[in-house]
Amino acid sequence: MRVEFDDGTLLLRDAPDNIPYAEWDDRVDEYRTQAYRYRSLLEWVGAWSDGNEQATLQDGFAHALEDTARAYPALDLTPALHIEPRDYQQAALNAWIDHGRQGSVVLPTGSGKTFLGLQAIADAGVSALVVTPTIDLMNQWHATLTNAFGDQLTEPIGVLGGGSHEVTAITVTTYDSAYRYINEYGDQFGLLVVDEEHHLPAPTYRQIPEMTIAPYRLGLTATYERPDGKHELLEDLIGPVVYEEAVDELAGEYLSEYETIHMSVELTAEERETYDEEYQIYRDYVDSHEFDLWKEEGYQEFLKRTSYDPKGRRALIAKQRAERIARTAEKKLETLDNLLKRHYDDRAIIFTANNDFAYEISQEFIVPCITHQTKTDERTEILERFRTGEYSMLATSQVLDEGIDVPAANVGIILSGSASKRQYAQRLGRILRPTDDRQPARLYEIITADTMETYVSQQRRQGVTTNADG
Amino acid sequence: MLTADLARSRTTGDAIKPLFIDPTDENYRETARELIALFDAHLGEPKGDLEDAIDELTVADTDYKIVQGLAKLLLDECEFEVRSPVEPREIRQTLFEKANERYPVVRQPTLGDDTQKIEVYSAVADELGISLEACYRGMYADLEENKRLVQIGTRTADQYAGAGEQSTTTTTLTGSSDGEYEHTDLTVDWLVTRYNLALAQAVLYDATEMRIRVWDHFGTVFSYVKLFGLMHRIYPINSDGKRVERTDCADGYEAILDGPASLFSQSQKYGIRLANFLPALPLCDRWEMTATVLVDETAGETRQLRLDDTDGLDSHYSTGRQFDSDLEQTLAQKWERATTDWELLRENDVFDLGDEVMIPDFAIEHPDGRRAILEIIGFWTPEYLESKLKKIRQADAENLLVAVSEQLDCSNDDFGKTSERMLWFKTGIHVYDLVELAEEYSI
Repeated sequence: MRVEFDDGTLLLRDAPDNIPYAEWDDRVDEYRTQAYRYRSLLEWVGAWSDGNEQATLQDGFAHALEDTARAYPALDLTPALHIEPRDYQQAALNAWIDHGRQGSVVLPTGSGKTFLGLQAIADAGVSALVVTPTIDLMNQWHATLTNAFGDQLTEPIGVLGGGSHEVTAITVTTYDSAYRYINEYGDQFGLLVVDEEHHLPAPTYRQIPEMTIAPYRLGLTATYERPDGKHELLEDLIGPVVYEEAVDELAGEYLSEYETIHMSVELTAEERETYDEEYQIYRDYVDSHEFDLWKEEGYQEFLKRTSYDPKGRRALIAKQRAERIARTAEKKLETLDNLLKRHYDDRAIIFTANNDFAYEISQEFIVPCITHQTKTDERTEILERFRTGEYSMLATSQVLDEGIDVPAANVGIILSGSASKRQYAQRLGRILRPTDDRQPARLYEIITADTMETYVSQQRRQGVTTNADG
Repeated sequence: MLTADLARSRTTGDAIKPLFIDPTDENYRETARELIALFDAHLGEPKGDLEDAIDELTVADTDYKIVQGLAKLLLDECEFEVRSPVEPREIRQTLFEKANERYPVVRQPTLGDDTQKIEVYSAVADELGISLEACYRGMYADLEENKRLVQIGTRTADQYAGAGEQSTTTTTLTGSSDGEYEHTDLTVDWLVTRYNLALAQAVLYDATEMRIRVWDHFGTVFSYVKLFGLMHRIYPINSDGKRVERTDCADGYEAILDGPASLFSQSQKYGIRLANFLPALPLCDRWEMTATVLVDETAGETRQLRLDDTDGLDSHYSTGRQFDSDLEQTLAQKWERATTDWELLRENDVFDLGDEVMIPDFAIEHPDGRRAILEIIGFWTPEYLESKLKKIRQADAENLLVAVSEQLDCSNDDFGKTSERMLWFKTGIHVYDLVELAEEYSI
């Protein structure tokens, strides 16, 4: 029998009729099976060997097997770590190894799942693909993996997604890109690491583990169970839950103390005129149609109308224009200018909600800038330089959090932000670490007075307070 | 192709149908004309400006999806380029390093007027040997929105500047991701018909399976099936579309197209490939297509998309046989590098077979006048092969060599007298094997 990797599946040439897991494919007149059956298939044939163990041949039953499917290399890596693994991380790793390196580890957010991932990659000793739900997380894994293994690899950490298409022995990707390309690369990785694996049971994403031959699999999540019960699929695709640690069993990491300063700026006369004009178009339309915009349904109703009513369309554009004026108010730059003067000696991160504004600040004040457009390798480099102090300021339109090696700043300046409570809370937690003992970290929030931003900001603070209390 | 958010379709009962536009509707034609002019006007300009101008067209227009869709198809024909004398990343890195020594680089320094910022920029400009302006503009010249529109179709910014007000009609074989098989006229007609095809393609992104029926251009259709990595089951059909027992009483073929993993589950994985394949069908005079489209992946709910030659779709693909030409191209390249007196020539020997003709791919000629003819059979369906072999037997030429891919399931006997003049190959053809055959059978 000859096993071939064929476009995300395994084609089994000249397979015996008692071959398990396989379906007869009348299009090519051969048996075919899903790629994730690779290890089971080798085990069935008696050709699977795990690390130091010898392949165990079943008595009197060893099919001749030609394996052309495996295209992944072995790697010898030792993570360059600055910190010792915590007890539960070591325990989780051991449990995973004991389960034949197939399974899920459930750990709460902020407990160093990435760190565990690094150790698993080093332990498995084969090429690895790390799949994450967002480009942000992909970027963070890239930075972490580069720190840990960068010097030991002949090629940089690969990136598949976010406009990059470089596949190397250790590659990070997003669910979306992985789904798109896994049929091409499913034979090139021996270990599949799936971050936030509870997203995996969606019908499309499910094909990521299905189309890879990786005999070793690690799933990471804080919330294993899905309301729809589909997490049961994970056992087949990744392996069983091998380790679980509840939230309160871990020592909590506390947000450092910080001081928040709210500042508000006025629109210039010209900005005010345009703002009022656009806002009025929006307001008039909304008032004449009695949408209850404070409710989710009301806003949906408004959006729906904009797709067939030209006036509604105009009102939507008016709203967007008004928001933009408030967000990028001229006076915000003046205020920022003053703040930078005051904190020239500190480590400051400047947040904006949109890319344009981040780039404008970058050019105006000559500070490095990270947005969704920044390529992963440049992002990793900028963060590394910020961490080492080569750069002391950073402008960003992105959430920089959750990574284990994200550098600390002692000054945060929010020039504009989305109303998302979660994002805001994460931003706070991320930046606010005092860099020396004498003064607390400080957060400035600059909003534009008498605009929609005033409301958003209040709502946002309420959200954070609620979270902190809870 | 359109992005999923620009798709427009309607479902009724079990059917899903794209909301085609009437290509003769003067409103849409005017929009298309306006857009083409807009793109022309932005040659040499930043992409961000072009996109803003397109957005401006849709401010109070509920047809904005159509406008954006048409614009997307034009954007697909465009090339954008980073314009900077030094790598932008190098410029900004140098700037940040320099600025970091001098923070705060602020607007109202206590001494002087705006000097710090200018000082940093000019110091870096000098260091890199570029002008102050190039330094400032180059810093982020690689941002998508700052890239310059350098080419629409085959028209470049430079050519355009020289040519002045010329016709907006360009014929081109577009390169890169579009594939060499695509043929594009950047006209109003092209744009509105391409748009309808793109709407149908967008519905197919979620397709799990496609059933096609074709009554002509089999070779072309199946070469595109192969090109886009689709798998098939084929059944001969009569002129009513009913399946028939044998190939020799077939008027056409029905094929069910999907991919390797479709064997295990209903998969949208091949939706993009099916969408890419669709334009091959309007190359036929008579065709029908029914695709199963997954509209709710969690519930597994599907709809049927039905299209045929009466929908007025038009193809921008070429009728060339893609897979064969790849093989032929590779062989020609190999021949260049090989050392042999024999020459590989593109010839148009025509074998008259009565009601049709066969035109073999190559002639192999020796300077001394000896000559052989070469026909390459790459991937094909059993039915195609059958007709091909028949033609080869009919041609009855003593110097006709045949190179056949081993992927084909046929035995030596099928070839009649040519069987000893035949070369089996796996993935590519070896030059010296052919030279050997030519030595023996040329006349």
